Amino acid sequence: MDDYVITVLSNIGMISFIALSAYLLLLTGEISFGQQAYFGLSAYAAGAATAMFQMPIWAGILVGACAAGIIAMVVGALTLQLSGLYFSVATLAFAEMARLILLIVEIQVEVDGEMVGPEGANGFHGIRWMFERDISLTEFMLLIYGLLALTVICLLLVERSRLGSVLRMLGSDDLLAEMQGLNTVRYRILAVGAAGVIAGVGGALYAHFTTYVEPQFFNVMLGVHALAYGLIGGLGTAFGPLIGVAIDVGFLEAIRFIQGYRMIVFGGLVAILLIFMPRGILDEERVHRLKAVFSRRNHARA
Amino acid sequence: MIDFVQNTVDGMMFGSSYALLAIGFTIIFGVMRRINLSFGATIMLGAYIGTWLHVHHQVSVWVVALTTLASTVLVGIYVERLCFHAIRRSAVLASMVSSFVIWMQLEEAAIHLLPERTYAFPALLAADSFEIGPFLFRAEQTSMLVLAMIMVGVLHVLLYRTRFGLALRAVSESSLAAAYMGINAAWVTLCAFALVSLMGGVAGYAILSTDAQITPFFGLWATFKGLIAMMLGGMGSLPGAILGGLLLGVVEAHALWYLGNEYKDLSAYLLLFGMLVLRPGGLMGQRILSREALAFRRV
Repeated sequence: MDDYVITVLSNIGMISFIALSAYLLLLTGEISFGQQAYFGLSAYAAGAATAMFQMPIWAGILVGACAAGIIAMVVGALTLQLSGLYFSVATLAFAEMARLILLIVEIQVEVDGEMVGPEGANGFHGIRWMFERDISLTEFMLLIYGLLALTVICLLLVERSRLGSVLRMLGSDDLLAEMQGLNTVRYRILAVGAAGVIAGVGGALYAHFTTYVEPQFFNVMLGVHALAYGLIGGLGTAFGPLIGVAIDVGFLEAIRFIQGYRMIVFGGLVAILLIFMPRGILDEERVHRLKAVFSRRNHARA
Repeated sequence: MIDFVQNTVDGMMFGSSYALLAIGFTIIFGVMRRINLSFGATIMLGAYIGTWLHVHHQVSVWVVALTTLASTVLVGIYVERLCFHAIRRSAVLASMVSSFVIWMQLEEAAIHLLPERTYAFPALLAADSFEIGPFLFRAEQTSMLVLAMIMVGVLHVLLYRTRFGLALRAVSESSLAAAYMGINAAWVTLCAFALVSLMGGVAGYAILSTDAQITPFFGLWATFKGLIAMMLGGMGSLPGAILGGLLLGVVEAHALWYLGNEYKDLSAYLLLFGMLVLRPGGLMGQRILSREALAFRRV
């Protein structure tokens, strides 16, 4: 594979994390415009860990994901009372705050005679873990897809478990869920925190793949795209958001020849798709039907 | 002290443009309970069509103004048909995402129309700034504040004194019940969208002619400033839209003066986040229903 294809595939993989993160919150019925904040904060934290403090990559990813998860839980606790548009706008406000703070922060330390660290609007350069260790693009892509597979498996297991039913129940009617004796506060903070961690893993990988990050990348457009992916691909299964990302990034790469008219074509197509499939390609009903088909086939074989 | 007052005055002047945008938002979000992310882009494309006529055919200022309004309404109707009418009412999320992709579409269309970064935008009336005591007022911005107040007054009469307003409020409460009363919900929604787009067109024209230029960032800017001002004032409240716009303008002006440019937007988002955490209903809005009240209503 040439570098271009690997880069596109890696981008699909890294963006998938933020799509999965938005998807997890959509399951609980909340629309977040702010998942890009955790992606970005984690990219900075993980970059700082490996570039400024010489930690290994796994520690960097861990630091980034934990930081993102903890901040997400704090924001989740502050916005517990809010739902619907109020929650969406609160997450948007937080994400923009985080981005604007990153535009101001300048903390640099000297590493091997060079200043390394976040440099305000100039971004955070010199996250060179990949080059220092001579890791090829292909190897890093395998790391991305390994972690992505792990995340998807976790999400699929959660969806099969009782926890998954509880989360979907919060999404369809949280009042009813509370009357069933469920601790909705705990589940909501759990979901928000887990969504933060997932976005954080993606952000940590992103920082090391591109070797530099700048606050401008984590603007609200990224967050709204993340939401759109889940809805295009479908809200029935964790594969939905992945399909959404593949359609968006893959499709836009494929229709390069109509340069300049891409959003006009793509926007129109998605709008029409949503008219016929308002909960995406793989919505709950279709996932259910597919599962029925598969289980019938297994029975026939047995 | 004079600086402080002058900053407050400047902030209120800027805030009046936020107030104008917030009025359109408060109707869509507050009264119709829908999220239309492409509102700013709708205004932008309308204004771009007007500017395109001005640049390429040298039409008079009045034609630019009227074209801007008319094309904003047409684009608004296009958004309503594609993102709201065609998608069933319960699928709120699909409508929102659909309006987002249409935002991208409208923005690209506008950039194709006028590919350069900035274009001069013709003003309808030229006016000078004037002074009261030691303080400087800009005439265009003062007139924007007056315009916002007139728009709120007209909307208030329309919503609470006419049959159309009654129908619109009924549809926003429950479209099913409204349909039983013989109200054509689809028609009322379409009219409301056309009305909001017209208001947006007026707001956009007033703001752009004050700035005297138009850039492709206008769509994003208009959507966010309008959204923040509406949330600060209280969703669904018309006086709140003006108050929220002014508050946003004043806070931004002080942050710019005392802290510097990079803190201007930060202070706005901090204010919004704080308001939502501490007082979610905003300055003038109804308090959002507590869980107990919701439970009671269902019983």
